[in-house]
Amino acid sequence: MAQLKERPKPFLLPDYCKGCGRCISACAKGCITFDKEIDAATGYVPVVIDLETCNACGLCMDACPEPYGLRETPVDVDFELQDPAKLFGGKTTSAPEPVEIPNTLIPLPRTEPLVIKGNYASAIGALLAGCRHVFGYPITPSTEGAELMAKLLPKLDGTFLQAVSEVAAVNHMYGSGGAGYPCMTFTSSPGFSLMLEGVSYMIGAEVPGVFVNIMRGGPGLGNIAPEQSDVKLACRGLGHGNTHAITLMPSTPQEMLDLTMLAFELTFKYRSPVILLGDGYLGQMTGKVMLPDAMIKPGIPKWAVNGDANHRGNLISSIYLSEHDLEQHNIYLNDKYRQMAENESRCETFMADDAEILIIATNTPARASKGAVQDLRQQGVKAGLFRPITVWPFPVKQLAAILPHVKQMVVVEASNGQLEDEIRLALSNAGVTTLPAITNVRHFGGMLPQQTEVLAHVKAILAKEAR
Amino acid sequence: MSVFYDKFQRHSEGVGLKGNSTHYCPGCGHGLAHKYLAEAIAELGIQDNTVLVSPVGCSVFAYYYFDVGNTQAAHGRAAAVALGHKLSNPEANVISYQGDGDLASIGLAETVSAAQLGAPITVIFINNAIYGMTGGQMAPTSLMGQSTATSPDGRSMFNGQPMRMAELIAGLDGPVYVERVALFDAKNRRLAKKAIKKAVQCQVEGRGYAFIEVLAECPTHLKLSPEETEKWVKEQMVPVFPLGVKKDLAVDPWWKRPSPDFEPAHMLKAAGASSDAASRYCEAFPTHLNPLDISLKLAGSGGDGAQTAAMLIARAAINEGFDATHIPSYGPESRGGTSYADVHVAKDEVLNPASPHPDVLIAFNAPSLAKFGPTVVKGGTIVYDSSIVKDVPEGIDPSVKVVGAPFTEIAVDLGKAVVKNIVALGALQAATGLFPKETILAAVRQALKDKCALIPLNEEAFAWGVKAVEEGRK
Repeated sequence: MAQLKERPKPFLLPDYCKGCGRCISACAKGCITFDKEIDAATGYVPVVIDLETCNACGLCMDACPEPYGLRETPVDVDFELQDPAKLFGGKTTSAPEPVEIPNTLIPLPRTEPLVIKGNYASAIGALLAGCRHVFGYPITPSTEGAELMAKLLPKLDGTFLQAVSEVAAVNHMYGSGGAGYPCMTFTSSPGFSLMLEGVSYMIGAEVPGVFVNIMRGGPGLGNIAPEQSDVKLACRGLGHGNTHAITLMPSTPQEMLDLTMLAFELTFKYRSPVILLGDGYLGQMTGKVMLPDAMIKPGIPKWAVNGDANHRGNLISSIYLSEHDLEQHNIYLNDKYRQMAENESRCETFMADDAEILIIATNTPARASKGAVQDLRQQGVKAGLFRPITVWPFPVKQLAAILPHVKQMVVVEASNGQLEDEIRLALSNAGVTTLPAITNVRHFGGMLPQQTEVLAHVKAILAKEAR
Repeated sequence: MSVFYDKFQRHSEGVGLKGNSTHYCPGCGHGLAHKYLAEAIAELGIQDNTVLVSPVGCSVFAYYYFDVGNTQAAHGRAAAVALGHKLSNPEANVISYQGDGDLASIGLAETVSAAQLGAPITVIFINNAIYGMTGGQMAPTSLMGQSTATSPDGRSMFNGQPMRMAELIAGLDGPVYVERVALFDAKNRRLAKKAIKKAVQCQVEGRGYAFIEVLAECPTHLKLSPEETEKWVKEQMVPVFPLGVKKDLAVDPWWKRPSPDFEPAHMLKAAGASSDAASRYCEAFPTHLNPLDISLKLAGSGGDGAQTAAMLIARAAINEGFDATHIPSYGPESRGGTSYADVHVAKDEVLNPASPHPDVLIAFNAPSLAKFGPTVVKGGTIVYDSSIVKDVPEGIDPSVKVVGAPFTEIAVDLGKAVVKNIVALGALQAATGLFPKETILAAVRQALKDKCALIPLNEEAFAWGVKAVEEGRK
C-alpha cells in the first residue's frame, strides 16, 4: 500500500514578511489574513496564518515573493524556530575557495621572420599570448586583425564573434574577461569612442581585456588615413569615473606583436584593460616580424566567474552603493594606477644622452623622427629622440632625467597636441617646472609628419637661434 | 539545498533583516521570478555551472541572492555580456535577467542580435510596464494612456506604442523557445515556474536560445496596492501582451564547442611561420639605388597586382637580411579603383615607410605614371606598362631613367593576364638591378608554396619581363 506523505504546511517569521498580501488571494481556504498591528522591526503589517483550516496546498508559498518569507514548516527540528541563524543557515555560501591555475609557458622553435601587416602581427601576438576569444566590429584601418582572427581562431578551436556593434563587442569582452579568459578586440577611432562605456565598467569591475585601436582621422567620420588623435581618449577620457589604463604605442610591425603580447601580460597582472594605440600606418604596414621563443597557455585566475564549482562564489561588478565603499574602491584603484606608473612606464631613447635638441614622438612619426636625428647628428647637431612606449603612464622620470641638457623639445605628432599635452601634464605633475622651449611638428587629417619636415623644423630653430 | 544564499551577505553585509530579505518593494514581481529561477536551477542540478548576469534596473542586485557565479552588467548590455561568457565558457549555463528598460529600450540591439545568434543562453525578461529603479518613468512597454513620471498626461502616440518583445523575439530565426507568462494568480504562477524551468533546460540540453517574458507587478510605481496591481496586470497588460507560448521548436541538441588549442605546432602553422631559412643571393645592399634606404612606389588599378608585387619585394628584401616595409593604399578606393603601394628597402632600418619621393616607380597605367612620374627623385627609375601607356607624360625630371615594357601583352600571351605584376618585377629587376633574379624568384616561390602548379608560369612571366627590358621591347 502506498504510503501517504503529509505535505508540509506554511511557516512564516513575521520579520521576513513585507505584508504584500499576495498569499491572501492565493489561498482558497481563506486561512491568511493581515495581522492587526505593525511589526516593530520591519514597519510592515505581516500576515498571519490560521493553520487549522490549511490543507497544505502550497499555493501561498508559490505566491510569496520573498525567498525567506512563507516557506515549508521544517519537520523534525529540535531548535528554536525563531532563530534565523539556525533556520536559514549561518554560512553565506557553500562555494569552495577558488584555486588559481597559473599560465604555462610553452617553448617555440626558432622560426624565420614573418613578413606581415601590423594588424596581422598584433593578431598573432594575441594568439601567442594565449588569446582564443576575439570580439570585433569591422572598421578600417583595423579590420585585417578581425579578419585574420576569423580565419585562424577556428583552426585553434577558439572563437571569433563579429559583434552587432562596438558597444556589444566591449560587453562580450566584459563577459569573456570576467570569465577569466584573455580576450581582445581590434577597432579604430570611431569604434573606440563607442567602447568607452564598457572600458569604464571593465576598469571598475577589474576585468582584463586588450583593445587594439588603429587610429584614423577625425573628428566624426573623418577619414581612414593615419592620425594619432585618440591619445587624449586613452589617457584622459576612458569613459566615466576615475579611470586609467596602460596605453602602449608601438612604432613597428614587430612592436605590434611584442606590445600586444605585453598588453596581455599587463592586463592580467593588474586586472585592468590595456590599450594599444597605433596610427593607421601601423595597422596597414607590412614589415619584418620575428616570433618570440615561447607562447602562453593561459590558466584561470582565482577571481574569475568561470562557471564552475570552484569559482561559484565570485562576482564581477562595478557597483558600490555605499559612498564609503566606493571611495575605498577608488582609493584601491588609484593605488593600482600608482603601481602601474611606478612599474610600467616605458620608453626608448636614441642618442638622447647628450641631446640638446630632443625630439619626442610615438608610433610611425617616431620612426621619421629617428631618421631626422640621424641626419642632424651627421650635420653635427646634438639631437636625440625620446619615444614614449607607454603614453599612459607617461615615462616622466626617464624624460626628466635627460632634460637638464636639453635646450629645445620638439614634439612630433599627428594630432593637435594631444601628446604634447600629456608631456606637459606629466612634467607638471612631477614638479618639473623649468622646461626647455617646446615647439612642434604636427599634421592632421591623415598625413604623418615626415623626416624632411622634422629636419627642416629643427634647422629653422637653429637658424633663428644663430641670428 | 536552496540556490539562494543562506544569508544575503552582499545586502548591507547581511546585517539584521537584510540578511534574509530582498531589497524589493512589497508585492514586487521580481521576488517571484527570482524564486522560480532559483527552483529551476536547483531542480536541474546546475548550481555549480550557472552564471547569472544582473542588469541595471531594480534587479541590479540579483547577485545578492543567487548562489551561482555572478556578473553585473552595464545598462542594456546583459545579453552581450552573457554571450561573452557563453562563448568563452560553453559548458556554463548563462542566464541574463533583465527588466523592460534594460532589455527593450537601451539594450535592444544587444537583445535582438543575441536572440538571432541563437547561442543557448536563457533570457528572463521582467516586463512591469514602468521604470522602477529611476522612479516610475515611462518604459518601452508602458501602456497607451498610462501615466508615468515622463508621460504625466498618459502615454500618447507621440511617445510611441508599447513594445511586444516576446512576439518580436519569436519572429526571429535564432530562438528555439519563447513564452510570455504572468504572476497575477496561482494558475499563471504555475505556468511561469514551468516556463522558466523549460527555458533553462533548453540551455542545459544545448538546444538553443530561450526567452521568457514575465508580466510582473510594480505596485510602488503604479501607485496601487499589490492586490490592485495583480488585477491591473490581468486586466490592462494581458490584452496588450497576450500570454502563451510564442515559439517552441523541436530542435535537437547542437551546442558543442571545442576546448582551445595551445599546441605549438598548430600555432606556428596558423601564423604561417617556418623554420626553413631562406637562401641569400645578394652580396651587398643595392647602394646604387640609394645608400641606405630605397624608396619604391607601385601604382595601378585594383587588380593590377601592385600590392602583391610590393609584398614580394618586401619579402625578398627581408629574406636577404635587409629591413623592408610596404604600405598599401586602403579603403573604399582600393576595391577596384586606384591601388598604390609604398615600399621601402633599407640596409638597417626603415625610418620613413611612406614614399612621397620614390627612387623607383612601377606604373601600371597612364594616370599612375602621370601622377607619380614627376615625384620620382633625380636619377631615379620608372618602369611602366608600355602595353597600356602609349605616351610618357611631361613633368618627369630628365635625369630619371624611364623604361617601358609590355607587362600586359606578355601576360596575355602567357595565357594569364594576372601575372602582369610578375612581368613587372622582371622588368624592375632588369631596369634597376635591385636584387639578383634569384632573390625575387625565391620570394615568388615562397608565396606560391601552397599553389606549386603556378610556379612555372610565374617564373616564365618574370623571365619575359627581364628579357623585354634587356631587348628594349616596347
